[in-house]
Amino acid sequence: MNPGAMDAAAPDAAPSSIEETADVLRRRVARQFGRSLHIRTLDTGSCAACEQEIRLLAAPHYDLHRLGFFFTPAPRHADLLLVTGPMLRAFASAARKTYEAMPSPKLVVATGACALGGVYQPDEFSYGSVAGQLPVDVWIPGCPPSPLALLQGLMVAVDRMAERAWHLTFLSGGAQ
Amino acid sequence: MTALLLFAVAAAAWLAAAICALPLAKPGRGIWVSCGLSAVGGVIALAGGILALLSADSRVVSPGGSVVVGSLQLQVTSLSGVFATLVGVVAIAIGLYLPRSGRNAVIASPAYLCAFNLALIASITVLSAAGVPTFLVAWESMALLCYLLILHRPRSIQVAGGAFWFLALSEAGFVLIVAAFVILAAKTGSLEFSVIAARAHLVSASWRNTAYLMALAGFGFKAGLVPLHVWLPEAHPVAPADGSAFLSGLIVKLGIYGIALFAFRLLPEGAAWRGILTMGIGAVTAAIGILYAMAERDIKRFLAYSTIENVGIIVTAFGAAMTFLAYGQRALWAFLLLAGLYHVLNHGCYKTLLFLEAGVTEHAAGTRDMDRLGGLARALPRSGVIAFIGTLGIAALPPLNGFVSEWLIFQGLFQGFRTHSDLVAILIVVAAATLGLTGGLAIYAFVRGYGIPYLGMPRTEGAAQATERGQPIAGPGFLAVACVALAVGAPVVLVGLSRAIRTATGVSLRPILLPGKLTVIPAHTNFSGFSPTYLTVFLLAVLVVPVLIYVAGRPRGDSVVVPVWDGGMLAFKPRMQYSAMTFSAPTRVSFDALYRPAVSVRRASDDPAGRSGPVHYESQATPVFEKYLYRPVVRAVEWLADVVRPLQSGDVNLYLLYVFLAVLVAYLVAAL
Amino acid sequence: MPQWFVRGLRRGLVTTRYPARPDPLAALLPGPPSFRPDALTRQVADDLVQICPSRAFVRAGDELIFDAGACTACGRCRERAPEAVTLSGEFELAATDRAALVKRIPLRDE
Repeated sequence: MNPGAMDAAAPDAAPSSIEETADVLRRRVARQFGRSLHIRTLDTGSCAACEQEIRLLAAPHYDLHRLGFFFTPAPRHADLLLVTGPMLRAFASAARKTYEAMPSPKLVVATGACALGGVYQPDEFSYGSVAGQLPVDVWIPGCPPSPLALLQGLMVAVDRMAERAWHLTFLSGGAQ
Repeated sequence: MTALLLFAVAAAAWLAAAICALPLAKPGRGIWVSCGLSAVGGVIALAGGILALLSADSRVVSPGGSVVVGSLQLQVTSLSGVFATLVGVVAIAIGLYLPRSGRNAVIASPAYLCAFNLALIASITVLSAAGVPTFLVAWESMALLCYLLILHRPRSIQVAGGAFWFLALSEAGFVLIVAAFVILAAKTGSLEFSVIAARAHLVSASWRNTAYLMALAGFGFKAGLVPLHVWLPEAHPVAPADGSAFLSGLIVKLGIYGIALFAFRLLPEGAAWRGILTMGIGAVTAAIGILYAMAERDIKRFLAYSTIENVGIIVTAFGAAMTFLAYGQRALWAFLLLAGLYHVLNHGCYKTLLFLEAGVTEHAAGTRDMDRLGGLARALPRSGVIAFIGTLGIAALPPLNGFVSEWLIFQGLFQGFRTHSDLVAILIVVAAATLGLTGGLAIYAFVRGYGIPYLGMPRTEGAAQATERGQPIAGPGFLAVACVALAVGAPVVLVGLSRAIRTATGVSLRPILLPGKLTVIPAHTNFSGFSPTYLTVFLLAVLVVPVLIYVAGRPRGDSVVVPVWDGGMLAFKPRMQYSAMTFSAPTRVSFDALYRPAVSVRRASDDPAGRSGPVHYESQATPVFEKYLYRPVVRAVEWLADVVRPLQSGDVNLYLLYVFLAVLVAYLVAAL
Repeated sequence: MPQWFVRGLRRGLVTTRYPARPDPLAALLPGPPSFRPDALTRQVADDLVQICPSRAFVRAGDELIFDAGACTACGRCRERAPEAVTLSGEFELAATDRAALVKRIPLRDE
């Protein structure tokens, strides 16, 4: 759901009252993580390019610590699960266990074209996308997503930045 | 009602228990009678011991004797009273432990019960011996009866080997003890201990020192000083659990009693180097004991090495006490003796407890190997709690009793500067540092010793099937209560012990020891002080804080029970847990030079690693003492026997020639 | 003074000010394409559907449905039809609803 829909009505966005309630709930959850968020990365079978970009987030140029984000290896300490990769079938139960090991409230962010359904079709080795296996809150496209895109996605997840995806039309020469 | 009378009644009770055990052709209700009488005897002995340590030395009583063994002379001193209380406690505990019901029950045989009760009688006689013959006869009978205790399954080669180690080293020690006593008796002209003690100063220093060193080595065989300790890790695993408890809890302490007898009663005055040597041997024993304990998987061998470590601590305290006396520090002399005796009591309690719990584990789970156990605290809840109390005690963690006695020993050692000799003060501090090392390693070792078998998940079916039905709780439970009582009631214990020390040494520690009724001050007021009772209260109060934080701040919503996070693995097998050997691996690697492990790796095939099939890895610590000390001595004895053998030709004529030559030589010597 | 300390002082602050201020490097990033609907014929659209290795295009009648989530920014679509496809320069693509990334591009009326 689109929390930033208040500023400009995009053509496809038509929030109903139920969706607005969910929206308020989501924002309350996001407020909890506003100042400090612990991120657990999960690679479900990616080529590791996304992981390289995620790794750069901790480097001096992007420095996610200044925004209050931290990486943690333990799902028990994590607030947000950052998933990459097309969800290999062999990994699905481990991904499920990682998600269940995280205490509520928790967020799931899927990033990279593989996790969003592109690149790989569902076959006997992979599900093709994390959509069916984990409840995703924020999708971050890219192949790989740059650290700036990852930062924007994380800020959207904790409701510190407005989501722009609805407004984007990908039409050149006009309305952006 | 004197202490000696109480001991006699206790001995009678044990004799009755031994006799009651005999008609038990097959196990039945009768075992309860016999064990009940053992426990009753223990209660009486405990009362006698407490009475003995609170009162002055009793008179020497000679209730007759025989031509063969000399007259029986009995006297109860306050020093022996301390050890007698331990006899009582151990008798009660093992008496309550022995009868067991349930499907896996291994009932003690009549011979075993007989030997056990008679060994108790022999022990109490050793403690109340007032003269050399009584002591020696009682000592040797105690050793032989313990040999029978260990040898409960004589047809098993390991059991026979372990029992043989015990007997052989016991006899070697006995030779030295006899020699020491004979020297003193010959030089002072009397066989009574009180007379020897009174006339000791008339003996020349070299003879005194020789006697002391022989006694140290002789009793050191029994107590378990390095390098005379080798029988402990061999005999303890093969003995039944209560037998091991008896050995470690009591018999080893009788060796310490012997050392204390020579060091503090018969030959107290002496040069400083005696004390420093004793202290050094004690410190080395403690360090080596705990280091070898770290490498053991068998619970009983582990506990045996831990006994060696604690014996080292006690002997270090005694040695430092002797050093302080040589420099005129009488208060510290008495104080360290007190601290050492306190540690004797404490160790007797928690080591017996741990051995009995090892027996419970062995019967419940079917194995003594730590790497095959796990999760016993859930399968055997009450035993888990009791074993935990024993572990806290032996690891010397506050607020339990091990902490109190080790603190006292450390405080005594830290005052080495009062000797006003730089070299001695440094040596004492080095001993204290070694004890500090062993204390840290002991905590490490017992985290492993409790955590691997009792915590976590069961590693094998046997451990998973363990049940507490039919396992004895009363015996170990009584010892757990004793441990807590010795800790919380430390002021009371210290009052009693200081009365005993005053009788034994003539130094009155009481005013310096407990000024405010609850605070302990080690010998000199300007050094330090602490209160075990207040410490216990404080620790319990501090424990309330996290409870309050939890109650106030816990989440109010529903909580979800989820599985343990195991890294997302498909199947978490309990064998993937930390094992005993991996837990101690850092220490074993650091002290590689001591263990000198012989490692052998065998692969099933020559294919590259990962596809070569099963790999067999074996690492065996080199038995340093057996290899470099005992084997050469045994070989030397065998060589000597070979050299002498031609004399034993079996020819009667040659023997008659020997007799003739001996008579000739005797006449010549008498004529000259 | 350690070398890295001196070097650090000389170089100054290298951390980006994003999201408080725009990052100058953002313009160099590869990203999803932009479309010129008046250059998008049916033929071009069908070619784009065929050529995308990530199956980000589907033609539904008079519309080209573009899934920005599946786009890998490989550039094949731009290579095939540079008059219809340009760089969008967008990188702030995060969406809470997967459907927000699926866009309908109208084709040229023919």
